[in-house]
Amino acid sequence: MKLSSIGYLFKEGFKNIWNNRMMSLASVVVLVSCLIITGAAALISVNMSTLISKVGDDNQITVFLEKELSDLDSVRLGSEIGKIKNVESYRFNSRSDVLKEYRKSLGDDIYESMQGDGNPFGNEYKVRLKDLSKYNDTVTQIQKIEGIEKVSDRSDVAGKLTKLNYFVTIVGSWVVLILAVVTLFIISNTIKMTMYSRRFEISIMKSVGATNSFVRIPFIIEAMIIGLLSGLLASAALLGMYNPVRNAASGIIGMIADSTLTFDQIWLPALTVMSVIGIMIGLIGSIISISRYLNKEGGSIIGK
Amino acid sequence: MIHLENVSKVYPNGTEALKNISLDIKQGEFVFIVGPSGAGKSTFLKLLIREEKATFGKIIVNGRDLMKIRKRKIPYLRRTMGIVFQDFRLIDKMNIYDNVAFAMRAIGTPEKAVKKRVKYVLKLVGLNGTEKRRPNEISGGEQQRVSLARALVNNPEILIADEPTGNIDPERSFEIMKMLVEINKRGTTVIIVTHEHDLVKKFGGRIIRIADGEITHDEFIHTKYQPDKLSDSPENTETDNSEEAENI
Ligand SMILES: Nc1ncnc2c1ncn2[C@@H]1O[C@H](COP(=O)(O)OP(=O)(O)OP(=O)(O)O)[C@@H](O)[C@H]1O
Ligand SMILES: [Mg+2]
Repeated sequence: MKLSSIGYLFKEGFKNIWNNRMMSLASVVVLVSCLIITGAAALISVNMSTLISKVGDDNQITVFLEKELSDLDSVRLGSEIGKIKNVESYRFNSRSDVLKEYRKSLGDDIYESMQGDGNPFGNEYKVRLKDLSKYNDTVTQIQKIEGIEKVSDRSDVAGKLTKLNYFVTIVGSWVVLILAVVTLFIISNTIKMTMYSRRFEISIMKSVGATNSFVRIPFIIEAMIIGLLSGLLASAALLGMYNPVRNAASGIIGMIADSTLTFDQIWLPALTVMSVIGIMIGLIGSIISISRYLNKEGGSIIGK
Repeated sequence: MIHLENVSKVYPNGTEALKNISLDIKQGEFVFIVGPSGAGKSTFLKLLIREEKATFGKIIVNGRDLMKIRKRKIPYLRRTMGIVFQDFRLIDKMNIYDNVAFAMRAIGTPEKAVKKRVKYVLKLVGLNGTEKRRPNEISGGEQQRVSLARALVNNPEILIADEPTGNIDPERSFEIMKMLVEINKRGTTVIIVTHEHDLVKKFGGRIIRIADGEITHDEFIHTKYQPDKLSDSPENTETDNSEEAENI
């Protein structure tokens, strides 16, 4: 391919889009919609994972010990907890420490009166898990240890989020797969239509000795430009919605604000990935439709 | 230049369009292909440009074996040939200049060379000054000349024309023929399929007659035709049918 040809081929590609502008517009609209849905699913999933890992980070189960358990027995019980495989770390929290945590809300007078034997709390252990998905098993194991009153459900949020994320990933993958097929279909049809409307020119090009790749390239460029344009538009739309949606969500669940990705963190990756996906869809979609056309010869191209 | 040996063409539907054809066309020849409708004339041309592949036999065109040529190489074979179609096949939304330039751009010629060459070829066919007009703004004869210019623009070794005068009036046909003779004089092999016996008689040359897929005659017709005197009435040209058959 000569360098001088590249300009010409690009010009032809743009001309195709313009000459076939209704169909080009239609495929951009469909592609943008599909990319927005896909991108939204991806962004939600990525943020969920971030959220879960953050929640998981300060996620610790509280193990409440029976009030009657002596400090010595409590320490022994701690080492039992430590033996459980999925336990990353455990920290002793004595009953007086627990009471201290409530000092503010109880008021100094009541706090003073609860010192010593009046303390309604038992000793506690703050336990961190290695793998959150094995939460239930681990809790069951802990509960089997003698001397435990109950195990807190603090990690419920994380557990539910994990399940939700799993759901989003599964449903998202299916949606993305279906949309990919739809977009490929749309774009290959668009190219097929441009080729049909230019079949006469194609037949002349072939009769004067244009190589197949030379005939093909403007159509591939056309499809890739449509794909790129759609990728850019879709990411612009998604990024435009990102902060408002994130703020609204933070209004409902506070921790979203500092446990999800910021606009600055996502805009460049999102833009790049969406553009690349758009271009790839264009490339694949056009290749699907072009090869069939190019195998025809002479009059049969224009239906004679 | 062109060599056919026992060539047959059977279309997928079973039509035997050409039967055991053998012939040679040398460089610089001026050849008419004549014969009734359905005889296989267009099929013969299609074999030459490798739009169709022969079913049996051997075809060599410009040093390339068309029975063995690889698909990728076919475009390069076609670059050595110029084709003029009966229905002109001009692109309506392009002007005359771009229609001709299209053939050069399609094979990746730089714009600078395109400009120079198109100008020259348009002048050659007497169309300078009409560059900006569209095909539907010029006469049938002019359209055919654009088509001819396009066939010539890549400087082909062989010019192939299927009924180049089929859609235009006799006087215009005459002009087109004059140009083809002129082009032939510059060394290009010219092959013309035509129904018009008048033209054949007036211009003379090698006549290959095909009927029912077979070559029935292959002969030279001499005329006292003088290109310079053609501008006056065509009737002046005398014909002389010497039956100098050159059987193959
Ligand atoms: N693509 C095709 N498929 C099947 N049969 C074909 C095809 N093209 C041509 N034929 C048949 O082959 C025979 C020769 O056709 P061809 O077009 O070569 O004739 P021709 O001499 O050019 O006729 P005309 O003077 O009418 O143009 C005819 O019987 C025609 O019907
Ligand atoms: Mg014919």
